[in-house]
Amino acid sequence: MSTLLGWGFVAALAALPLLFPDPYLLAVLTSAGIFIIGAISLNLLLGYTGQLSLGHVAFFGLGAYASALATLGFDIAIGFGWRLVVAPQPVWLGFLAAIVVAGGFGWLLGRLAFRVRGAYFVIITVCFAQVLRMVALNWVELTQGPMALISIPPFSLWWPGEGWIALYRKDQNYWLVLAVAVLAFLLVRQVVRSRIGRALVALRANEPLARSVGIRVTHYLVVAAVISAGIAGAAGSLFAHYVRIVDPDVFLFIYTVTMVIMVVTGGKGTLWGPVVGGLVFGLMPDLLRGTAPPEAQWIIYGTAMILFVMFLPRGIVPALVRRPS
Amino acid sequence: MMNRRTLLLAGLAMPALSRAGFAADPIRIGMTQPLTGAVAASGNYVANGAKIAAEVLNASGGVLGRPVELILEDNKSNPREAVAAAEKLVLRDKVPVLIGAWSSTFTLAIMPKLMEYKVPMIVETSSAARITTSGNPWVFRIAPTSEMEAVAFAELLGKFTPAIRKIGFLSVNNDFGRGATEKFWAALGAKGIAIGRTETMTPEATDLAAQITALKQSDADTVFLTTGVEQQTLALRQAVEQRLGKRIVTTGGSFPDQLLANPLPPGNTSFHILFYAPWFPERAPHPRIAERYTAEWNRKGWEFAGLTEGFRGYDAMLTVAEALKAAGKPEAEAIRQALWTVKLAGVNGDISFAKEGPAGQESGQNRPNVSVVTLSEGKTGLL
Amino acid sequence: MDQALQHLVNGTVLGGTYALLGIGLTLVFGVMRVVNFTHGELYAFGAYMTYAAVSLLGLDFYLSLALATLLGMALGAAIEFLLLRPMRRADIDSTMLVMIGAALVLQNGEMWAWGGVAKLIPNPFPGTPLVVGPVSVLPLRLFVLVVSIALLLGFWLLLDRTRIGMAMRATFQDPETAALMGVRINWVNSATFAIGSGLAAAAGALLGPVFMVSPTMGDLVGLKAFAIVILGGLGSLPGATIGGFALGFVEEFAGGFVSTEYRDAFGFLLIILILALKPQGLVPAKERIG
Repeated sequence: MSTLLGWGFVAALAALPLLFPDPYLLAVLTSAGIFIIGAISLNLLLGYTGQLSLGHVAFFGLGAYASALATLGFDIAIGFGWRLVVAPQPVWLGFLAAIVVAGGFGWLLGRLAFRVRGAYFVIITVCFAQVLRMVALNWVELTQGPMALISIPPFSLWWPGEGWIALYRKDQNYWLVLAVAVLAFLLVRQVVRSRIGRALVALRANEPLARSVGIRVTHYLVVAAVISAGIAGAAGSLFAHYVRIVDPDVFLFIYTVTMVIMVVTGGKGTLWGPVVGGLVFGLMPDLLRGTAPPEAQWIIYGTAMILFVMFLPRGIVPALVRRPS
Repeated sequence: MMNRRTLLLAGLAMPALSRAGFAADPIRIGMTQPLTGAVAASGNYVANGAKIAAEVLNASGGVLGRPVELILEDNKSNPREAVAAAEKLVLRDKVPVLIGAWSSTFTLAIMPKLMEYKVPMIVETSSAARITTSGNPWVFRIAPTSEMEAVAFAELLGKFTPAIRKIGFLSVNNDFGRGATEKFWAALGAKGIAIGRTETMTPEATDLAAQITALKQSDADTVFLTTGVEQQTLALRQAVEQRLGKRIVTTGGSFPDQLLANPLPPGNTSFHILFYAPWFPERAPHPRIAERYTAEWNRKGWEFAGLTEGFRGYDAMLTVAEALKAAGKPEAEAIRQALWTVKLAGVNGDISFAKEGPAGQESGQNRPNVSVVTLSEGKTGLL
Repeated sequence: MDQALQHLVNGTVLGGTYALLGIGLTLVFGVMRVVNFTHGELYAFGAYMTYAAVSLLGLDFYLSLALATLLGMALGAAIEFLLLRPMRRADIDSTMLVMIGAALVLQNGEMWAWGGVAKLIPNPFPGTPLVVGPVSVLPLRLFVLVVSIALLLGFWLLLDRTRIGMAMRATFQDPETAALMGVRINWVNSATFAIGSGLAAAAGALLGPVFMVSPTMGDLVGLKAFAIVILGGLGSLPGATIGGFALGFVEEFAGGFVSTEYRDAFGFLLIILILALKPQGLVPAKERIG
């Protein structure tokens, strides 16, 4: 897809709140946008390294919790009578904390899980997210468990002439998510076009060959995992300060599945795939709301996933791009 | 490609725009309940209560000369979905008043949004203290707090033989369970009753053998069980299985109705703190209102025991209708003002709101009635 | 001590059904190289079919259990025929995605069909527990344990003594050689997936009356089945059996003596430990993919 068309698309999205200032429309697009950022990050692992990571929501949830806890502050016992006390921090620091914490766990999981591949790797990633959910549920002192972290402050930005402003309004949050999504997209594009990206593609195509010509397999996979996890953590932070509540269900498998569906249907291993898939599946629940029960929405999701994998395995974007030629 | 995009965007914007231009005739009242997920049983009962209240109101000419329309949104037993449901009701359906959201956790999740959008909410079930003490002037609770329930229960202690001397707790690990544990602990401790062991369980746990075995080892004579109706049923059955051998009192107003058709073996009597005992409508504070509600419910052929929770939705709708009448118009701020003046007779009893919480930011709190129902071999009695 | 004995009994009962779940998942993976994400949903399906047969049709309890298991096998065979057979040449990740899609459809279909409210299945056993010394157990649970063990034994006999079992074992060890030796892969795959699904449905049918039936009951169970096969070493049938009982005991004892709150987390914590110390699982499989 040409760069010009891409920027035109971004400009159209940016102008949307001015043309249609409907708060519900913006709320729906903002939620979809946060998941699209998650899908963009998942695509780096799933599409470019070919590793089916089904614990991706772990990084999203870690980012949400890290950001929320940093901005709310906490006071926990860490054993031997010591306490760890963190005073409430500004939101941008929470955003950074989200990226660092999620990226750090991405590194850990990368080191641990890349020792095993295939089905083993998949099940481990699923279990990893589940363990985090259990921790979030039961470490009540830190996470408030099922009571959830509530009253999380909204995102705030420094604006020339205005100073620090808290983003309560729908259009402000929409633009923030759009900006982060564009940054995430550009970052992934940069990675994919760099030496790392070429190494990853070589790995996906033929791992033994890539190893034999001296590509440091584990190193590149871990780098990709850290970047991917960091972006997912950023999305989690946006989520926490937009929805302003974080509960252990943020680690549910179903959210990973949502991101996987977005990537697979849009086209894994293509830059625009997660965006297109994300728009389709991010907006579908709200288009269906009122006309179909929530179960129907998931039945459609599941069916779409089956049909795409069986009949259009490369996704929507490659199918569209190939046609003109 | 550009064509596709504009088409997509137009398709998105259209429903939003056309809806905005459609001035609805009926007065819309928004409600969010857990219709699916871990606590779905109770949520469906409350929703049903609200539905029949809407029918009863409309049968007698509606409110302000207009029919009322209940818009029900599932929160899927999840606080985040509760927020999404509330946003949908306020932003898309433009309701001037909400009812919700069953669990304390869901209600607490929605509360910042009430401040943000300036819409009042009737809280029909949630019992956590901090709902009305955190300084949210848009919250009006008709349900009792755990503390009210505990204090009211402490007055009934003399009715138990053998007397309650030492208590233990089996509580769901959330605001509801922890709040009840804390308040019953305080209220009964103040009466000189010894406190034993507290066991907790996650809301989705099904096998409670480990918790019950642990409680069995303690020397308490009574265990207070606080959780949703599904887990209540599981815990009561597994208590028999593990020979807990202690009196069980459930709190929170839910009743394990499935044990009516599939009773526990003879010799097992459980006690249930309820806010409406549908087996004895004639003993409700306002028998005629209770009987009307009970009759409408039964005409639908719904689960009889659901009446124990359905009244919450019914009373909440009556409260909203009364506030609308007093406000004279379906506008959020007017309804909020009017809620402070309402005085009505509901299924549970008289409903009116007293101020709670920090000055200038008070929430409304009603003072409901409590009764204890016994269940033995599928038969109920009033203590 | 009394408490420990009670936990031992509870853990055994729980472990029996866990083993059933683990074996079904391992069998499907070993023979077909498919990670079956529908496993938990087949468990829920078995429970719902029992509910339908007992409560709605008024059928005999034991007949209903058998019927639910058979319907589970039929559903499994249908999934294999419609979704997995066309995907046989596809990579393992693609079949996994298809299975996830199928799990979504099944779970939400159940929600649609039955509603969100949990259901209780009546059973013919007395509600009073049998008491032996300090230990008490419900006759229903004892029945569940006995049937689980019978199913486990039956499964081993099938694998060991029948032609189809032999074909499965051959495919388990080396699908290509097995095909060269004249094993009809389609037939083996259908039978494998049907049996794996039947075991999951049987576990659901057995545990449905013990607990309650709800559309999301398969979620946690599906994840636990993954935990079991990882514990036992992916692709090892004895490992899955041991892993099932191990998880049952760990949950019961750690839940009783350490912390009831973390009860469901212990299994997953154990996995992290095992992966850190012994990534091949408790019983390493001779042959492993990936």
